[in-house]
Amino acid sequence: MGALRDYFAAIGRTIVTLGDGLAVTFSYLLRKPCTIQYPDRTPEPVVSMLPERSRGFLEADVEVCTGCKLCESACPIDCIHVEIAKDESGQRMIQRFEIDLSKCMFCGLCVEACPAGGLRHSHEFEGGMGDVRHLYVSFLDEPVPPAKKGKTVEPKPLGSIIRARLARPFDPYRGDRPASGARAPLSRGGEP
Amino acid sequence: MDALYELITGSDLGFWWKQLLLAVLIGAVGVIVFSVALVYAALMTYLERRVSGRVQSRVGPNRVGPLGLLQWLADGAKMILKEDVIPAAADRPLFRLAPYPVVIGVFAAFASVPFGEWLIAADLNVGLLYLLAITSLVVVGILMAGWASNNKWSLFGGIRSAAQIVSYEVPTALAILVVVLMAGSLSTQDIIREQGGWPWDWYVFRQPFAFAAFFLYFTAALAEGNRTPFDLPEAESELVAGYNTEYSGMRFGGFYLGEFGNVYLMCAIATLVFFGGWQIPGVSPAEHHGSWLWQIVGFGLFFVKAWAASFVVVWLRWTLPRLRVDQLMSLCYRYLVPLSFVCLLGTAVLMMLVPAGSLFDSLLRFGTFGFGLLVAAIFFWRVLWHIRHVGDRIDLKILARGVRGRFDPAIQHRAYGAFRKQQKQPEESR
Amino acid sequence: MSETSPTSADRARDAILLNMGPQHPSTHGVLRFVLHTDGEIMHRAVPEVGYLHRGLEKLAEQQTWAAYMPFTDRINYMESMFCNQAWAMAVERLAGIEVPERAEFLRVIACELNRIANHHITLGCMSMDVGAFTPFTYLLRERETINDLMEALCGNRLTYNYMRIGGVAHDVDRAWIAALEKFLDHFEPICDELDSLISYNEILVKRFIEVGVICQADAVAWGLVGPNLRASGVSWDLRRDQPYSVYPRFDFDVPTAAGARGIEGDCFRRWLVRAEEMRQSCRILRQAIAALPEGEIRAKVPRKLKPPAGEVYACVEGARGELGVYAVSDGSDRPYRAKWRSSSFSALSIIEHISPGLMIADLVAVVASLDTIAPEMDR
Repeated sequence: MGALRDYFAAIGRTIVTLGDGLAVTFSYLLRKPCTIQYPDRTPEPVVSMLPERSRGFLEADVEVCTGCKLCESACPIDCIHVEIAKDESGQRMIQRFEIDLSKCMFCGLCVEACPAGGLRHSHEFEGGMGDVRHLYVSFLDEPVPPAKKGKTVEPKPLGSIIRARLARPFDPYRGDRPASGARAPLSRGGEP
Repeated sequence: MDALYELITGSDLGFWWKQLLLAVLIGAVGVIVFSVALVYAALMTYLERRVSGRVQSRVGPNRVGPLGLLQWLADGAKMILKEDVIPAAADRPLFRLAPYPVVIGVFAAFASVPFGEWLIAADLNVGLLYLLAITSLVVVGILMAGWASNNKWSLFGGIRSAAQIVSYEVPTALAILVVVLMAGSLSTQDIIREQGGWPWDWYVFRQPFAFAAFFLYFTAALAEGNRTPFDLPEAESELVAGYNTEYSGMRFGGFYLGEFGNVYLMCAIATLVFFGGWQIPGVSPAEHHGSWLWQIVGFGLFFVKAWAASFVVVWLRWTLPRLRVDQLMSLCYRYLVPLSFVCLLGTAVLMMLVPAGSLFDSLLRFGTFGFGLLVAAIFFWRVLWHIRHVGDRIDLKILARGVRGRFDPAIQHRAYGAFRKQQKQPEESR
Repeated sequence: MSETSPTSADRARDAILLNMGPQHPSTHGVLRFVLHTDGEIMHRAVPEVGYLHRGLEKLAEQQTWAAYMPFTDRINYMESMFCNQAWAMAVERLAGIEVPERAEFLRVIACELNRIANHHITLGCMSMDVGAFTPFTYLLRERETINDLMEALCGNRLTYNYMRIGGVAHDVDRAWIAALEKFLDHFEPICDELDSLISYNEILVKRFIEVGVICQADAVAWGLVGPNLRASGVSWDLRRDQPYSVYPRFDFDVPTAAGARGIEGDCFRRWLVRAEEMRQSCRILRQAIAALPEGEIRAKVPRKLKPPAGEVYACVEGARGELGVYAVSDGSDRPYRAKWRSSSFSALSIIEHISPGLMIADLVAVVASLDTIAPEMDR
């Protein structure tokens, strides 16, 4: 008799537990789906829905850069290249300020290191490029002098700098830099 | 079909003319049945994807056509255009041949499905037997595919499939036999005519044993159609994709059409055997027979019932885990087969003891129907309970940038980087 | 290599040599098993690891102490927060840095959220590997909310890099706490829903019960930790038994699922332990929110951190159990050596021991229930 009871108890348990599971899944037919239909059917662009601290592509405002190179040394994977050199008139100039976004791991250590606040994470994340080398971004068109103490700069909207740069990619390996100062990148890490 | 057949054979044309016309007729009917089956199988993929989406609180395909209704066309075009890869080590002729028995086995069965009183390609007097027998062709194709792929995972899938389908034929047939016993006919149309339009006239609610037989049939048919929780031949997390691991392009599409066609077929059988087929409530068969209007309504009813059953199959698939091979076999031989026999015997005894139309007969009928309603009521109460208990999706928009006003800088000990400090107090920047 | 080739005994039994992975849907990452099977039943399953070796321990020697933090995220992407904490604790102990109280609370909050997120994936994968796909999507949906919270807290959804030597990177505000409370209110009923949907589903129970049994002695001998060890009946939790951070201030249970259906150490117990741990994490989170003190979130740490020469072992109770790091300093600004003790590796090593007699479908369930993560094994 015990065996028979177990037999029917097993059937009963199966029906009850399976039925309860079916009730859960059925209840979802009556609720709103949680899909966010990225990218074209969101209430607003996803970039503007991200939280304050969201770490997207790095962007550098060279107008406030003091040329201290702390970001370069803070970067664990050496994807920031800053070069300071004197020009013909003997003035210190920021010659290069380049970030290899294809290497960047978005850890945010450089942003914390920057004393001037010239480096920040934008919320941009859509950087699909035909060539990975186009993610090598230069933030300088021509050498600029480092910012002095007390210099005031109009703050630029978040993401505007990197958007402009990515829209106009340059290929560091072919050397077709858009403006003056065309040079091959520093040979660091695994680059040729 | 029958009318046309009699028209041709009864006419005073010559023998060969008659044969030619018959051949054309059979060919035309074959093409129609094939296209109907194709479209139904393709629609099944749409239902599958859409329901699975909604069940998983997703949306499902909604881009191709209104509500994504043309998704199946896009999928089909993709399948046809894809490269048909044949592995180097495969048994080429068998590999090429394998999808055909699957497709033929399922699509040929559509010939005997009564979509409406007039809408049946071949009203065989052994219709149910034909339906059960021809679908067994599927296992040949699956076994062939498993063997010809020359891949161990595929072989496992094929072997599992053979064991499973052969075993589950038994309870399927036994459960249907309950109804055959009650109807006294194997013809699909006769079985439908024996039932009535109202739910309590359906065979499923005639008496408790038929009610149980329906669930037995449904479970066993799920296993025969390789559907979750019995989708072991293609268990994606164990056997990669089982017997169709190596298939691509339209050959893969063939297996899928076969599988989805099989789901519809099994639901159509459930509809005609247990749910009254095309019978309309309150319309007698005599009224039904002559009227175009009732024919269309009847077709619609069959359509709705069969697709509702298909919905249940899909819904089950997206809820339940998969059994193990040994559990699959023990379920079949320890539970389904003995219980089907019990149902069969019980039905026979009831038919002996309870004359049709007696008070006890009605009592059984309405009692079973009431029990079914009760189960449904409990189920929907549970659904509502779940919705109330968990509530809808939560919304954490307050974290997004969009509503920046709610961010309280006074609590913010340290801004992210110093950039915003500089934004707030530009005179402090160096 | 002799491990993977069939033995003479296998040949005698006509064993099929079956390659499961490195590309297989249920090996979760790049992991390979060599199965010696007789039809569905296995004689032996030999795990092969190393496909995801990235040299993360060696990388530590090239980085400064602080700059290694983002790399710890990558050791185990499912429990980045715990790796962060283990590394931070190791360096803090080496350098003798006192962590502010608020930072410790924030660490606990972040870690417990991470634990819930990790168990979402584990339970989801377990159910997916036995064929139920929907629980996985429900749990991923909940995990998405945690990801949103994490992104608001530290800026990233997977590789958090939230902790720093001597504290944490960012503070929380009232809005974030409110959002967390909202999530907890929402999530606790979801645990019940999960139970209704799948935990006690008879098919799932039948698939997990008495499968892949690891007895208490074996579990200890093979060095299992965390939920796997607790499911075998050993009530051992570093948060309680070897307290660190501010865990002694919280009141929580260490579930062992004793008395449930099945037997000690089977897959079903491992499921139940994890399901219960999510509830306990919610309890800890609620207490932590209530008791969150005001104050600094980061101790004063010199920019060029040079811990005195020495060695240290720091471990935390990660989502998979003890996650330890052994760090050696030679007094310079870079680690001399860092060695991680990962739970996945020991969990995987027991598979060969328990595999004889399992079915192929069982192996999948056992691997999922042991919650192994390929990158953590190989590092």
